[in-house]
Amino acid sequence: MSWYRVSRKYHKWLMLFVGLQFVIWSISGAYMVIFDIDYIHGDTLVANQQGALKGEQVNYSIAQLYQEYPQAKKVELTSLLHEAVYRFSTDNANNQDKHLLSADNGKLLSPISKSYAVQIATSLYANTKANIEQVSLITEKPPFELSARHLPVWRVDFDDFASPSFFISVQTGALVTKRHTYWRLFDWMFSFHVMDFIEEDASNKLLLVVSVLALMASLFGLVLTYFRVFKQSGNKRTKQTAKAKRVG
Amino acid sequence: MKLIKSLHKWLSVLVALQLLIWLASGLFFNLMDHSKARGNEYRVKTEKRAAIDTARLLEPSVYLVKYALKQNSLEQQARPVYSIKLITLLSQPYYLLNHSRGLYPHFYNEHLLINAYTGEQQSIDEEMVLNIASSSYNGSGEVKSTVKILPPIADFPKEQNSVWQINFADELNTSAYIDVSSGRLVGHSNDDKRFADFFFMLHFMDYGLMGAEGGFNNGLVIFFALLLLIFCLTGAIWVIELINKGRYKIR
Repeated sequence: MSWYRVSRKYHKWLMLFVGLQFVIWSISGAYMVIFDIDYIHGDTLVANQQGALKGEQVNYSIAQLYQEYPQAKKVELTSLLHEAVYRFSTDNANNQDKHLLSADNGKLLSPISKSYAVQIATSLYANTKANIEQVSLITEKPPFELSARHLPVWRVDFDDFASPSFFISVQTGALVTKRHTYWRLFDWMFSFHVMDFIEEDASNKLLLVVSVLALMASLFGLVLTYFRVFKQSGNKRTKQTAKAKRVG
Repeated sequence: MKLIKSLHKWLSVLVALQLLIWLASGLFFNLMDHSKARGNEYRVKTEKRAAIDTARLLEPSVYLVKYALKQNSLEQQARPVYSIKLITLLSQPYYLLNHSRGLYPHFYNEHLLINAYTGEQQSIDEEMVLNIASSSYNGSGEVKSTVKILPPIADFPKEQNSVWQINFADELNTSAYIDVSSGRLVGHSNDDKRFADFFFMLHFMDYGLMGAEGGFNNGLVIFFALLLLIFCLTGAIWVIELINKGRYKIR
């Protein structure tokens, strides 16, 4: 058989098996390159909130903090809802050992209440007109989109375009992550792109097999392109003579 | 159907080269050594838990008065302070003052480093970054050169802050990067990572054309992605037609 006929046969057969993945690759790939990654990461949802600290806000000293919590590590003085707060941990590994403390009076603010979480989420959300649709506490079995290392968190869903959710740490009051429809969709697109629906890992065997077959199918396709486009200019007569030559 | 086939034929000419690049680089990602591609061959954890003598610590709130409210001063401009973090660098506690806060550490940030015992301002100079870089490195190479560079940084295209680049003379050409204003170790890079990054550049068509700047949202890749989409859809329609015509027969 000639190169042309072999290529036509194998291109046809291989594409029966991997053609669907080509369609999936091109749809998911196009999705991922078209949507700006910063938009996907929800950066535009977060208000650039720059609450500066003021000296008079801090009436509880770091010396007092160490007296009360001698184990304190990673101490940070920062501003939360226009008040000065300390964040620190008493253990590096465990989220339960992170704490939030008022820098005004030393009162422990963590674990934060639902209403406090809502206030934080609202103040960080860029669209000040959006309402809150739902608030839920997640302490175990996080959904697909949330890493278990962030738990426990308050999930605050906004009633706004693309259903955004903010995840506020129960122990630190910090915005640990955010999601919206197009990010959720992006995660699915990536899973389909690398053919891994569990770990989103690009080194799986299924992808390897399909990639190798896809590469072969494409090379056969390239041979067809060579014959159909470059070897003959679409002129019927040359086509027929070429065909006759190949058959002969 | 004639149009579909003709589109498929002519699009194949346009996308052929890039499609092969996509498939080959995709195959590379599937097979590459992911731990090597991270560039952390000689990276060790810098000691995070140096003991702090809490009795000697100055009060961080002092700096709110000193740096935030000092109006119209000649030597020190009034600068807002957003957070003060107690950190240890090279076993020495410091207060890291944030003057401009980005959403993430790699976004644009401005910091000031102050010795938490003495209150002296610590400049993140060449000597200091050499020590930080060396403490993060366990390879055998000596420091070859130290350069301060502005973003964009080829090894870390997402980083928006100026960094010190410390180059080690080892077989992987390891470089350590340290944020100029905070002393934060941005990361390590080496030839293994640069090799993998080259394939990412190919896969993302990040060729420095049409708004390409170290990501996958450039005009060129969007254009070719759309061409590929039409190419794949016309191919899929062709396959369906062949099925319907009974052309898939095992002889």
